Amino acid sequence: MGFNENQTATIQGSEPAVSVAKPELINGSHAVIQSLIAEGVKTIFGYPGGAIMPVYDAIYDYQDQINHILVRHEQGAAHAAEGFARISGEVGVCLVTSGPGATNLVTGIADAIIDSTPMVCIIGQVASHLLGTDAFQETDVMGITIPITKWNYQVTNADEIPEIIAKAFYIAKSGRPGPVLIDITKDAQQKLMTKPFVHKKTEKLLSYHPRLAPKDEQLAAAAKLINQAKRPFLFVGHGVQISGAEQELIRFIEKTDIPAASTLLGLSSIPVDHPNYVGWLGMHGNYGTNVLTNQCDLIIAVGMRFDDRVTGDLSRYAKQAKVVHIEIDPAEIDKIVKADAPVVGDAKKALELLLPLVNENNHEAWKAEFKKYDAIEDEKITQPELAPTTEKIKMAEVIRTLSDKTKGEAVIVADVGQHQMMTARYYQFKKPSSFITSGGLGTMGYALPASFGAKVGAPDREVVAMIGDGCFQMTIQELGTIAQSGLPVKIIILNNNFLGMVRQWQQLFHQKRYSFVELQNPDFITIAKGFGIDGHTCAKREDLHASLDKMLASDKPYLLEVLVEKEENVFPMVPTGACVADIRLE
Amino acid sequence: MTSYTICVFTENSIGILNKITTIFTRRRINIESLTVSETERKGISRFTIVIRSESRETVEKLVRQIRKIIEVLAVFGYLNEDIAYNEIALFKVSTPIGAKPLDIETINKTYKAWVVYWHLTYVIIQKTGTEEEIFEFFDYIKPHEILEFVRSGRVAVSKSPQTLVDYLPEAEWEYYQ
Repeated sequence: MGFNENQTATIQGSEPAVSVAKPELINGSHAVIQSLIAEGVKTIFGYPGGAIMPVYDAIYDYQDQINHILVRHEQGAAHAAEGFARISGEVGVCLVTSGPGATNLVTGIADAIIDSTPMVCIIGQVASHLLGTDAFQETDVMGITIPITKWNYQVTNADEIPEIIAKAFYIAKSGRPGPVLIDITKDAQQKLMTKPFVHKKTEKLLSYHPRLAPKDEQLAAAAKLINQAKRPFLFVGHGVQISGAEQELIRFIEKTDIPAASTLLGLSSIPVDHPNYVGWLGMHGNYGTNVLTNQCDLIIAVGMRFDDRVTGDLSRYAKQAKVVHIEIDPAEIDKIVKADAPVVGDAKKALELLLPLVNENNHEAWKAEFKKYDAIEDEKITQPELAPTTEKIKMAEVIRTLSDKTKGEAVIVADVGQHQMMTARYYQFKKPSSFITSGGLGTMGYALPASFGAKVGAPDREVVAMIGDGCFQMTIQELGTIAQSGLPVKIIILNNNFLGMVRQWQQLFHQKRYSFVELQNPDFITIAKGFGIDGHTCAKREDLHASLDKMLASDKPYLLEVLVEKEENVFPMVPTGACVADIRLE
Repeated sequence: MTSYTICVFTENSIGILNKITTIFTRRRINIESLTVSETERKGISRFTIVIRSESRETVEKLVRQIRKIIEVLAVFGYLNEDIAYNEIALFKVSTPIGAKPLDIETINKTYKAWVVYWHLTYVIIQKTGTEEEIFEFFDYIKPHEILEFVRSGRVAVSKSPQTLVDYLPEAEWEYYQ
C-alpha cells in the first residue's frame, strides 16, 4: 500500500493540523488504526494474514502509539483480549484475518459473550466483489458469529470505518458488555476515504439504550422486601466487578448486615475476611451458602444470572425465598428464577440508590448459622485438604500457600477444571478485580493467553496463571507469545496426569470407568525452556515454599510445575440435577 | 397451543432477519408465518412473526431476547384479540372447457374473493382474510381442482392507540417518502 503520509488527518480532540489547505485523504486501513487510537486503544492482540494485510501495513506506521502483541493462534488473541478487558474494564481488541483466522476466534468470542466481556474483533474479509463466491479464505463470519456477538457488522466501504468502530466500542462497553465483531472487506481497507477522517465517539444510538438508573418504583419495591426480610441473603455476581460497585456493595451489606456470598465470577469483589462474607455459591461452593440458600427468606441477586451451576435443580431451588434481582440486562429477569422485585439497571447505580432506602439492621443470629456449616466443612474438607497427611502434594495447599505468599492480592487467572474450582475455594482474595476465569463457557486453554492479556491490563500487579496439565496443552503455543513479549506472568501447572474433573465424574457417576482421561504428558519444563522461559518442577511438599518463592521472585515469565495427587476430588459438590441443599461432602 | 403475533421494529439493514430467526432456532420455536416491510417511517422495518406456543412465559422470554438485538427498536407480543390482522391468498383454479363453471357471484359476494387473472383453462383468484376465512374458501373452491395455492404471512396492527413513537419518543422520526 505504501500510504504513509497520513498525519494531517484530524482526530477529534487532537491538535488541529496547521496550514493544511486540503486535508489529505487516508485509506480504510489507516482509518481503522486511527479510530482505534481515538478510542484509546494502546494494545492489540492479533495475527496477520491475507485479507487483513492492508491493516497490518498501516500498523507498521503506528508502532509508537499501538503495541501489537503477536499471538501464536487466534484463539489466544481472543482470550488475551478477554483477560485484558476483565482486569482493566476496557475493551480488548483482536485483529485477525478472514477464514480460519476468524473461525479460530470463535471460541473466544463465545466465551466473551457468556461472561459479559467487552471486546472488539476486527476481521479481514475477502474483497467485496468476491463475497459469496467461496473465494480463498472466505467464510461467512457474519453468519457464524450472529449468535455469539453482542453486535456484528460487515464494512464494505472505507467511509464507514470511523463511525462503525466508534459504534463498536460503545456497544461492546456499555450496558451488559460483550463482544462486537467488525468484518472489513479487503477493498474497504485499501480504498481511500472520500471525505476527511473524523472520529467522533458514539454516545447514544437510536435502537439501543441500556438503562443505568433503575426506576424509582422498582427500587422502592426492592427496599420494602429487604426491610421486611428476617433471613436475607445477598448474592454477588460478575456485574459488581463490571460496574465497579465494590464500595457500594460493602456499604450496603454493612448498613443492612446482610450476609453475602459470591458466584464464581463474583469472587474477589468482597474481601474474604469481610465479616459479612459467607463464601462461594454453587456446584463446588461452600456447604453453608448452598444449604442456607434453601432456608433464607429473601435472595438479593446483584448482577448475576442464576447459572445452572449455581442453582442445581431449579424445581427445588430457594422456593421459600422471595427474590430481588438487580440486573442490567432485562432479558435475564425471570429467565431462570422469577423475580418478585426486579431492579433493572447498573449494579453500582442500583446499590447507591437503594442504600438510603434500606434500614440499618442486625442479622447476627442469621449470620451465625453459616458458621455452623463452616465448622463442619472445615473439619471434613478444608483442613484435610490444607494439611494433608498423605505423601503427594494436594492442589489446595499449593493454592493456599500462594495465597499467603501474595497476601491474597495477586491477579489469579484460572483455567477450567478441578484446579479452577480449587483456586476459587482456596485462594483468599483480598483485592477487587483479582480473579479471571472462564465461567460460563468453561473454555479449557483460557488461562495462559488470558494471563498475559491481564498482565497488559494490570502491569503493576502480580499475575499468576493456575493451569491443569490438560488445559495447558490446549494453548501451550502461547508460551511463544509470552516469551516474545517478555510479559512477566507466572504460570503454575497443577499436574495430576489426568483430565481431573472428567475423571472425578467418571469415578462418582460412571463406576470409575476412566474413559480417555489419563494423559501422557511431555516434559513441560523442557518445553518452556525451548521457548526461552525458565521454570522448574516441584515434586515434594518440603520444596513447595521455596518453589513458589523462586517463581514469585523472578522478574521474568516463569513456569512452575507442581506434581500433585493423581486422584483427588473436589468437594463439596452439588451433583448435576441435585438440589443445592443436598450438597455432598464426600 | 395459543397463537402469538410478534411485531419487531428494526433498523433496515442487511442480515437482521438472520439475527432474529437465530433466537427462534436456539429455543426450538417454529415460525408459522413471517412478513417484513418498511414502515411509515424511513429506514424502519417491521417484522410480523406468528408462532404457536403453550407457554406465555416462553413468548415473553423470546420477546426480551429479540429486544437485545442492537438494531431492534421495539418488540411487541400480541394475542389475536389484541390485533387487527389479515392475510392474502392466491388460488390458481382449473377451468377446463366443458367443466362446471365457477359461481362468480358466490365467490364475490359470499367469500369476498376476486378473480385477478383470466386464462383459457384456469383463473387466479385473490382472497384476503384471516387464516380461517381463507381455508373456508379453500374448501369451497377445492372441487374445481386447485392447481396452485399460496398464502402470505400475517400482517397485523395492534388495537392499542399507542404507536411506535409513543414507545420511543426520543427518536427523531422521518416519515417514509
